Amino acid sequence: MHALIINGSPRVKKYSNTDKILSKFTEGMAGSGSTFEQYEISDRLQWEKIRKAFSENENILIALPLYVENIPGLLLEFLSTVEPRNGEAQMSFILQSGFAEGCQLRCGEAYLEKLAGRLGCSYGGTLVKGDNFSIRLFEGEQREKVTGRYTAMGRIYGRDGNFSDPACKAFTGPEVFPLPIRLLVGLMMKTLAKRGFDKAAKGWGCERPLGDRPYAVR
Amino acid sequence: MILIVNTTENTKITDEIRIELESRGEDFEIVEASSMKISHCIGCNYCWLKTPGICTIKDDYEIILKKMVTAGQLWVISDTALGFLDYKGKNIFDRVMPLITMYLKFKGKQMRHVLRYKNIMNIGLIYRGDGDREYLKRWNERCALNFGSKSLGVFPEEEVKEAAVCMH
Ligand SMILES: Cc1cc2nc3c(=O)[nH]c(=O)nc-3n(C[C@H](O)[C@H](O)[C@H](O)COP(=O)(O)O)c2cc1C
Repeated sequence: MHALIINGSPRVKKYSNTDKILSKFTEGMAGSGSTFEQYEISDRLQWEKIRKAFSENENILIALPLYVENIPGLLLEFLSTVEPRNGEAQMSFILQSGFAEGCQLRCGEAYLEKLAGRLGCSYGGTLVKGDNFSIRLFEGEQREKVTGRYTAMGRIYGRDGNFSDPACKAFTGPEVFPLPIRLLVGLMMKTLAKRGFDKAAKGWGCERPLGDRPYAVR
Repeated sequence: MILIVNTTENTKITDEIRIELESRGEDFEIVEASSMKISHCIGCNYCWLKTPGICTIKDDYEIILKKMVTAGQLWVISDTALGFLDYKGKNIFDRVMPLITMYLKFKGKQMRHVLRYKNIMNIGLIYRGDGDREYLKRWNERCALNFGSKSLGVFPEEEVKEAAVCMH
């Protein structure tokens, strides 16, 4: 199987979490004997090439970050310029996001199924998973822990050409966290995670508190 | 204050809204955004982690952002593409990140970001063309959750009068 893979993130490839996910995912695909070509929406110079590849490929996989509950504005701008297919291609998606619970991605997922139809393609399903915000802040083993699990999913996609396998559905994890976990994570957010973000900000050269209100009307 | 951002070229809709809101003496501002320079969000995260509350992209969106800090209602008027808002309409939402902080909390059963400002901004949509209304309603409600606010409803342009009734 050969797939056209489009990274739908507006973030440049170097910093894109989707890109890090894709590099693990495509390792799995290769393990199943599949091949792929990958492009980035963040680079407008590639748009013409992607349009051509979109019109020619049978298996189209768009990997994207959730942006305000749906697809990023830049990806929407690109997709508005492609010629819909005539039902001979299949679109599948990898939808990933910051928030960790499955329920956070369902509104975006629902649109992706509609989108495949609007673009004249059959729908191969969406691999849904959150809790990916920190990929860009992590390195080495910590990053591997988050991205590594996508390899197994790539193997399945390379084998089946879609995400119908029950393992892909289970990959999302819990729809909502049970109350004890919420209490624990809630506490962590106020302490450990907050300190982690403050530290990351220092590293980025931030000189004001993260909760600062520069436009507050005094 | 009611903030109305029109990302379409059709100013007849905003003319109609202006007449209606003026007649009722409402406090409102209309931004004709279709001729403005507004980029997509590039996801740099600077507004969260480097220059809190300030977008790194220096374009006309800052005008809108500053008004959002005091708006009790935001209405976005947008063209449609692929059954959804078109990219110009979506970009208005994607660029809103400076109003939200990096910090997280649970609201009900779901994770949310802590808002940067005390102001609560309810949101409504008016769309032109082939939009999937049921989906847009669902989406707008999800957006409102992220702003800690309420959806004011989703209206096709033919129902602009009904939308105006909800503007106060
Ligand atoms: C403008 C913007 C909007 C976002 N909206 C959401 C959202 O609605 N829900 C969510 O869980 N994560 C949201 N995120 C987080 C991203 O989906 C997440 O950080 C993702 O891993 C980024 O991938 P990328 O680096 O490939 O762009 C948003 C991020 C940005 C910049």
